[in-house]
Amino acid sequence: MADFLATGVSGLLAFQRALDTTSHNIANVNTPGYSRQVAELTARQAEQHGSGWLGNGVEVNTVKRMYDDFMSSQARSSSSTFSQLDSYAAQVQRVNNLFGDSSTGLTASLQNFTNALQSVASSPTSIPARQTLLSQGQALVNRLKSYDSSLDSLDAQVNVQFEAEATTISTLATNIAKLNQEISTGYARSGQPPNDLLDQRDRLLDELSTHVNVSTVKQGDNSINVFIGNGQPLVVGKTASRLAAIPDSFDPTRKIISLQSPSSSVDVTDNLTGGTLGGTIDFRSQVLEPARNSLGKFSVGLAQVMNGQHAAGIDLQGNLGGDIFAVGAVAVQSSGRNTGTAALAVTRTGPGALTNADYLMTFTATGWTAQRADTGAAITLSGTGTLVDPFVGDGLSIVVSGIPQVGDRLKILPTANAVSGMSVLVTDPSEVAAAAPIVGSASGSNTGNGVITPGEVLDASNAQLRSSVTIRFLTASTYSVNGAGSFVYSGGGNIDINGWRVQVSGAPAVGDTFIVADNTAGAGDNRNAMRMTSVLSQPVFSNGTTSLNAAVGQFTSDIGVKTNQAQVGRDAQKVVRDENAAALESLSGVNLDEEAANLVRYQQAYQAMAQIIGVADKMFQTLLAVTRG
Amino acid sequence: MRISTQSFYGSALAAMLDQQAVLSRTQVQVATGKRVNTPADDPIAAVHILELERTQLETDQFGKNGEIVRSRLNLEEQALADAGTVLQRVRELALQAANTATMSDTDRRSVATEIVQRRQELADIANRQDAVGEYLFSGFSGLTKPFALSSTGSAVYAGDQGSRLLQVGASQRVADGHSGFDVFMQVSRGNGTFATGSAPTNSGTGVIDNGSVVNKAAWVPGDYSLTFVSSSNWQVVDAASAVVASGTYTAGTSIAFNGIQVTVAGSPAAGDRFAITGPSSEDIFTTLDTLASSLQQTAAAPADKARLQTALGGVLQQIDQGADHLLGIRAEVGSRLSMLDGAESMRENLKVDIAGSLANLRDLDYAEAMTRMNQQLVGLQAAQQSYIKIAQLSLFNYL
Repeated sequence: MADFLATGVSGLLAFQRALDTTSHNIANVNTPGYSRQVAELTARQAEQHGSGWLGNGVEVNTVKRMYDDFMSSQARSSSSTFSQLDSYAAQVQRVNNLFGDSSTGLTASLQNFTNALQSVASSPTSIPARQTLLSQGQALVNRLKSYDSSLDSLDAQVNVQFEAEATTISTLATNIAKLNQEISTGYARSGQPPNDLLDQRDRLLDELSTHVNVSTVKQGDNSINVFIGNGQPLVVGKTASRLAAIPDSFDPTRKIISLQSPSSSVDVTDNLTGGTLGGTIDFRSQVLEPARNSLGKFSVGLAQVMNGQHAAGIDLQGNLGGDIFAVGAVAVQSSGRNTGTAALAVTRTGPGALTNADYLMTFTATGWTAQRADTGAAITLSGTGTLVDPFVGDGLSIVVSGIPQVGDRLKILPTANAVSGMSVLVTDPSEVAAAAPIVGSASGSNTGNGVITPGEVLDASNAQLRSSVTIRFLTASTYSVNGAGSFVYSGGGNIDINGWRVQVSGAPAVGDTFIVADNTAGAGDNRNAMRMTSVLSQPVFSNGTTSLNAAVGQFTSDIGVKTNQAQVGRDAQKVVRDENAAALESLSGVNLDEEAANLVRYQQAYQAMAQIIGVADKMFQTLLAVTRG
Repeated sequence: MRISTQSFYGSALAAMLDQQAVLSRTQVQVATGKRVNTPADDPIAAVHILELERTQLETDQFGKNGEIVRSRLNLEEQALADAGTVLQRVRELALQAANTATMSDTDRRSVATEIVQRRQELADIANRQDAVGEYLFSGFSGLTKPFALSSTGSAVYAGDQGSRLLQVGASQRVADGHSGFDVFMQVSRGNGTFATGSAPTNSGTGVIDNGSVVNKAAWVPGDYSLTFVSSSNWQVVDAASAVVASGTYTAGTSIAFNGIQVTVAGSPAAGDRFAITGPSSEDIFTTLDTLASSLQQTAAAPADKARLQTALGGVLQQIDQGADHLLGIRAEVGSRLSMLDGAESMRENLKVDIAGSLANLRDLDYAEAMTRMNQQLVGLQAAQQSYIKIAQLSLFNYL
């Protein structure tokens, strides 16, 4: 039968539970990841009487966690993207700051070197001017090296960060697996949700997604399976896999992320997105490695251009110029998994076709294939890879030796080591080849008014370059060379012999001679120094469309645009993340005013229930008094 | 919408932090005076700034080059002026010595002695060095002493014919000197077309003048010989001994052939020859040596005097040619100096342009930045004050 004392007691208990819940909420107002809980009150099962259904009071059906899986996954994925962009932006910012200072930057160093070259051209006999040129060359090399070593240390930090991220993610995965177990036990024991454990697990998932983007699938036993990358399982039920930063099979100093399970180890580096780990991976592949290759390409271009022109001149001793700059060679790394003995000898053919990319050479059943390491795009190589007919493509010449096995892979880094191997080879100022090796002169006994230019070198490797050549005019319009032949004279036209070029202009008379001879005493000659200043501004990269200075400009703007984009992207994503977080918070966050109101509400209800028990007592006393008589 | 207490505090705090970040960025701009501090601030402008700053450095270097060229050209100009003074003095001496009526052999010899000294002075000028010991007139062979006077009277030029070009503007190159070959070695002989002279064996008193070109088109370049077959008949033969012209001699009347004319005065004897040599050049030192050695000859007999007069006439003309030649080179130096002035003013304009562009691209507009900073300060203050006020409100205060 309906018993309003029992009804009163049910209310007392229910509102006590409600007050418990409210105070739990208030206590956890500052607990991260805590979801507000609500005691769900329902009317107890009514009893049927002749007069109808009489209510039986109230009970707490369940303590509900105010939570929404969809909103939380939204919030998680946007926070993962934000963490990625934030970590990427912070790291790009460091490269940006590195190259930001224009007064000490690469452009200024290169121009100081050019200016020093101009000073040598102005005073070719001056040893101090030549010494300054060598010092500025060294300063330019030092500048490049300091950039390179800064990038090196960023690279080392990436490796350290990979290890830290892998450890953190592994720990989180282990804890999630543990919670999975406790949660499914909790559900099984009471049939009610273990709210605070669920909060803890969601909190771990939130934290995990700030490190790497994850997807989750809920299982029947209320455990959650967690996947990273392209669906590689990180947590399955009660077992967790481990992420580890292990050495790249090509380069032991470069770390990659691998997913370790008892049976296998899978390289997931390129599959991971999102989170601070995703940001770091992006930073390495999109900024750090291209930046280093760009610097390397610049050094290769500089060395090739300067060495080429320097070799076309003679120094104060009258010797043809040697190389001014040395750069590091092309690096070839073979995979530690290779079973064959194939090795590659790779040389650069010229700066024009060089790219910023690294390459992978793979031996397949049909022969060698090449692809870019960053995009995976296939590269067409000409040639057969032998010494006489090497593979040629993208500014590289590749000779294969040894016996490869199918599946063997080698990585080619055309410019990555160029800067670290860079140095200034000319140390003696007198060895700066400022003069041209030949000089044209008119005979003093000429009767015509023909004049000859001092001449310029077209091909310094010509064996006859410095042999004396006499141009004698047979008639006013024809001339012989070294007494042989008859060539038509056109005023101001090019006369190319033995790898040099001169022009004769004016009206030479019959019998006039012009002699082009070795420039033995040309200490004051600046022709080659002038040529060196002008080749520095000529386009050398991208098939002769980009000059050294333009390459620095491109590089700087590239870093600037990337940083700028990263900052803008991060700020935009921050808004998205905050909105999603606020949406979830508006559902599951604790509001103290609301809890205060609930406190008052439940307290009043509790008091009312107590009054009902009082009324029941009075009725009972009344009944007793009547029967006692 | 419900606002949870935590997100209320969190977002209020985040708003303040954002305000602070913006303020700090503005503060960095104000402190450095630069709008663009790293490439990311404005990538396009950053590249322009790099290029402009590079051009500034380059222009400064071109300025230095220009000053070097100017100082070298000034040295050359001074040397050429000094050489001109020497030639002027030599010309005076030659004129003085040409007065055969008053000058004795001894007088002429003493004049010759001074001319030998002047010749040495001229050689010293031609071997002049600049402040760092480089020879002004040796072409590319700056460390080689260019002129050596040989005992036979001519000068040997040891330099080359190069002249150094220096860059004084993005597309302007100026030569910083002339080779000694061009300056001292290549003086056209005679009147520029031909030169006259008498044979040392002449026994008559005929004196040939320097001649002149009447019809340039009819001139056939080559060496000719005007020979008196008798005291009254002459003929001109070319290098192949073919007779080109002949006629009867009248003293003081011009003899014309192949578009040129010469005049012989006095009484040439039969067999006397006068050479008419075609275009060639001579160095200045040889000219002075010819003058000195002519003056050292005894000139007692009338025939000697006639030869001396012919020789001195030729030398005087040659000295004038030399002086004109030097003047021509000086004019070229002058035009190079004025090119330098032009290049300098172009550089100055460029610098002003670059400074203006840099100011636009890189430098901060302080008025705008200070206004912005004040706005941001007000915003931050408002955020802080409102936070404090709202945070005080709580229902718990009334329980």
